Amino acid sequence: MIQIKQVFALFLLSTSIILIPCTVQSQDAKALLKKMDDLMMAPKDRIATVEILLENKGGKEKAREAEMKQKGADKRLYRYTKPENQAGIATLSLPGGEMWLYLPAFGKPKKISLLAKSQAFTGTDFSYEDMDPKPYSERFDPKLINSTDKIWQLELTPSYEKSDYSKIVVDLDKTNYFPTKMEYFDNGGQKVKVADYNYIYSGKYWYAKTVTMKDLKKEHSTEITMKEVKFDQGLSDDDFTVESMIPADKRKTDK
Amino acid sequence: MLIHIYHCYVQAFIEKIVGFRWLIIILVIALTGFLGFQIQYLTINSDILSSLPDDDPDALLLKQIGEQFGGNNMGIVILETDDVFQTHVLKDIRTVTDTLEALEGITSVTSLTNMISIKGSDFGIEIGKLVDEYDLPESKEQLEALRKQVLSNDLYRGSVVSADGTATLIIFTLSTDADVRTVAGLVKQKTTHINLSEKVYYIGSPMLVTYISELMTSDLIRLIPIAFILIALILAVSFKTWRGVFLPLLTAVIAIVWAMGIMGLMGFQMSMISNNIPIILLAVGSAYTIHVLNRVNQVIHSDQRKAVIQATSYVIIPVILAAITTMIGFVSFIFGAYLDMIRDFGIFTALGTLFACLLSIFFIPSVLSMLRYHDGSKFMDRKRKSFLSHRLLAPLKDLLFRHPKYILTSWSLLILLSISGIFLIHRSVDIQDYFPKGDPTREAEKLMIEKFGGTKPVFVLFEGNMQDPDVLKVMNRCAEYMEQSPDITSTQSIADLIAAINGLITGEPGIPEEQYQIEQLWFLLEGNEMLNRFVSEDLDEGVIMSRFKSPDNESKKEFAAYMKRFIQENSNEKCTIRITGMPFVDITMDRSLINSQLGSLTIAIIFVIIVVGMILRSFPSGLYATFPIVAAIIILFGVMGFAGIPLNIGTVLVASVALGIGIDYSIHVISHFNHLFKATGNAPQALEETILISGKAIMINVFSVAGGFLVLIFSQMLPLQYFGLLIALSMAGSSQAALTLLPVVLILVHRKS
Repeated sequence: MIQIKQVFALFLLSTSIILIPCTVQSQDAKALLKKMDDLMMAPKDRIATVEILLENKGGKEKAREAEMKQKGADKRLYRYTKPENQAGIATLSLPGGEMWLYLPAFGKPKKISLLAKSQAFTGTDFSYEDMDPKPYSERFDPKLINSTDKIWQLELTPSYEKSDYSKIVVDLDKTNYFPTKMEYFDNGGQKVKVADYNYIYSGKYWYAKTVTMKDLKKEHSTEITMKEVKFDQGLSDDDFTVESMIPADKRKTDK
Repeated sequence: MLIHIYHCYVQAFIEKIVGFRWLIIILVIALTGFLGFQIQYLTINSDILSSLPDDDPDALLLKQIGEQFGGNNMGIVILETDDVFQTHVLKDIRTVTDTLEALEGITSVTSLTNMISIKGSDFGIEIGKLVDEYDLPESKEQLEALRKQVLSNDLYRGSVVSADGTATLIIFTLSTDADVRTVAGLVKQKTTHINLSEKVYYIGSPMLVTYISELMTSDLIRLIPIAFILIALILAVSFKTWRGVFLPLLTAVIAIVWAMGIMGLMGFQMSMISNNIPIILLAVGSAYTIHVLNRVNQVIHSDQRKAVIQATSYVIIPVILAAITTMIGFVSFIFGAYLDMIRDFGIFTALGTLFACLLSIFFIPSVLSMLRYHDGSKFMDRKRKSFLSHRLLAPLKDLLFRHPKYILTSWSLLILLSISGIFLIHRSVDIQDYFPKGDPTREAEKLMIEKFGGTKPVFVLFEGNMQDPDVLKVMNRCAEYMEQSPDITSTQSIADLIAAINGLITGEPGIPEEQYQIEQLWFLLEGNEMLNRFVSEDLDEGVIMSRFKSPDNESKKEFAAYMKRFIQENSNEKCTIRITGMPFVDITMDRSLINSQLGSLTIAIIFVIIVVGMILRSFPSGLYATFPIVAAIIILFGVMGFAGIPLNIGTVLVASVALGIGIDYSIHVISHFNHLFKATGNAPQALEETILISGKAIMINVFSVAGGFLVLIFSQMLPLQYFGLLIALSMAGSSQAALTLLPVVLILVHRKS
């Protein structure tokens, strides 16, 4: 009898030794990812000039510039200023995946229903899935796979259907919880894209000054640089209406 | 006296060769080792496009457009079934798409299950997938809705799914630095492993190039040993000695190694034409040593060294002459050839022939002089009683002397009949004709023609501002004009995309009136891979892409004339229009087949008359030497006409190769006859001995050469099968003409004198 008890105790001990770190690890990973989300979504709103530099395989570059306004995570307005022949074009993202496009040459904004998130976001190497405003911790199941002096490495598995990725491996800065690198793996397990982040501290927030996304198959890259970033400017919902996409001087004539 | 002095010179030269025999043998071994090592650098290039000449504007433009807009590295997997719009078929398409996307070296895959669909709706624009790959349609209604959507849209019908809904394409693009053969091999291997329920075909440049390379490699591996064994057997039966088998083959093998080694060393590549260089050299390269050996066997001398010197000095001139004329046949391709691969073939077969000749003059006497004494008298005795001499050549000689006019009449009739057959020859430059019936590539090509408007690409290049509405409107008009041709099923261009997007935004499809409107619509296209296929990076060039259906040459010419009218009327200062594509290259290639054939034959015949006339110091001899081969070539063309064998990039080589090889027989007959006639002054006796001695070498040579070439009928490519068959036929024709027609001409000429 004693022997049975001892064996049972030993069994409990051994399973707890195996299981406890797993649970702890999973909790840690979730907490870490949540911290990353919190850092990324800390400002109430932001205004910035965004420079977009596209580079193809042959090294040829194309530059774009846009004025960006963002409120919370899911209201975002881009108004392009360069190149000149596309100046005035605006895109508006609203909660629930709603998207609008304004082409000045055609007057009224058009609603775009995006059924395929794998599409490239306005010619960049970011897909609409990459630009999803939902927090990472709500979209992915994280797992801590590595830890060094400077970073935690998390493996994120999509918790939603119809993802173009089987996993994303994120390097998370240990001191400040911002991502330094994300590696995207397709459903065949092949690494297809790599994003490098350069976070800086401004006032009271950390933000990605530059993000470079490389498409490894197409050998094409997109570098997004944020300039003249201002946080918490008190943007209201009225700044994110469909009508707000149209420049003020044109609104009356369009009506 | 002159002959004697000349003979002394030649003999002294051969003595020197035999004197330096060790040096020669060592040099040959060293050179063979070095060049044999270089063969590893020889690569196969079966891409016909790369062989198109840069001085043909159509070919040059086709290559440039292919490189710039990516048409040259596009492969296609075709799935054929009873109905594409079934869930299990869609699943298979998705699996193949995912499998190809995962392959390294493939940059993009387009199929029914991953195509983007942009359509207008009540509230705006809907951007989605044509088929939701994560949630495939399953109900009858869903599948019917998909069928309706696909088959009612020009973007999909006929370009991704056939109009009858029974076949679909999965189109993939290779990255420019990908190894085509590796990727194509993986595509085939991976798709085979999926165990698809549909019938699978592969087409498109990377798949075709790889398939032809595979056929070439397997042809080489299979056919060379067969040709080798066959020639060895024929030599064994003919000479009945080890040296009679070994030395001719050794010469040929060394010549092959040298020629192929130099190809590798100089960075040339094996093409679907140069693929048969080894077999040609195996057959041709052994011939010179056969003549040297044959003469050595006939010389009765107790000293082997002296026998070799004497025999080689007799045969050196005809051997050199035969090699020069054979080389002329090969080199003549350089002047008339349209494709670079035919020119390369000419250069390296000529080079190989030169090596074989040099080896038979330098290396073979060196080796023979070191072998033990060979009793020539026994050999001669045996030879004279052999089947060839006794049963074939002796009766033939009697017949020639008895009925020269009958023989001449028979040849004349045969030639007349063949001339009537020449008019029946048709030309073919169509890729389908390269493969035998039932071949998977031929079937795929057929399917593409029947269900997807063909595989021959047609490009209309517009040079001008691609965002200028006037330029785009001309593009649109041009596309509509092209689609009125019965051989153009559909077209694709940037103008189509702009017109379609304009329709989504404004509700009215068509090219917008203002440039700034187009520039803003462009915003929606940025990053779309299709853009790179339609316009240049700087937006100063754009193409209309299409495919041409008919393999018929007249249709291609009609289409070229039809498009020329449009281009002349619509090119203006805003845009320059140019057209190219495989149909246009085919027209030039077809014209070049005739020019190449006539050009290379004329050059070869003129040079042969001059060279033979000069060396034999008699213009009539040069002229007579061409009679048998001209007769053999006429018969060859007659057979091609009556048998329906087309003149194509393989068979266009036959006449000149046949001339180069076949002229050797006449040269041996004439030089042997002249030699004896000058020595004895007795024409009948000279002719008799010529037929019995040189006739024997000629027969052995014909059997071995023709046997070697006949092996090509086991090739997996039709042009090579025909090539082998026709060369063998012309060898038989030219040898028989050299042993019957030529002696009859000589009998009649000398009877008169």
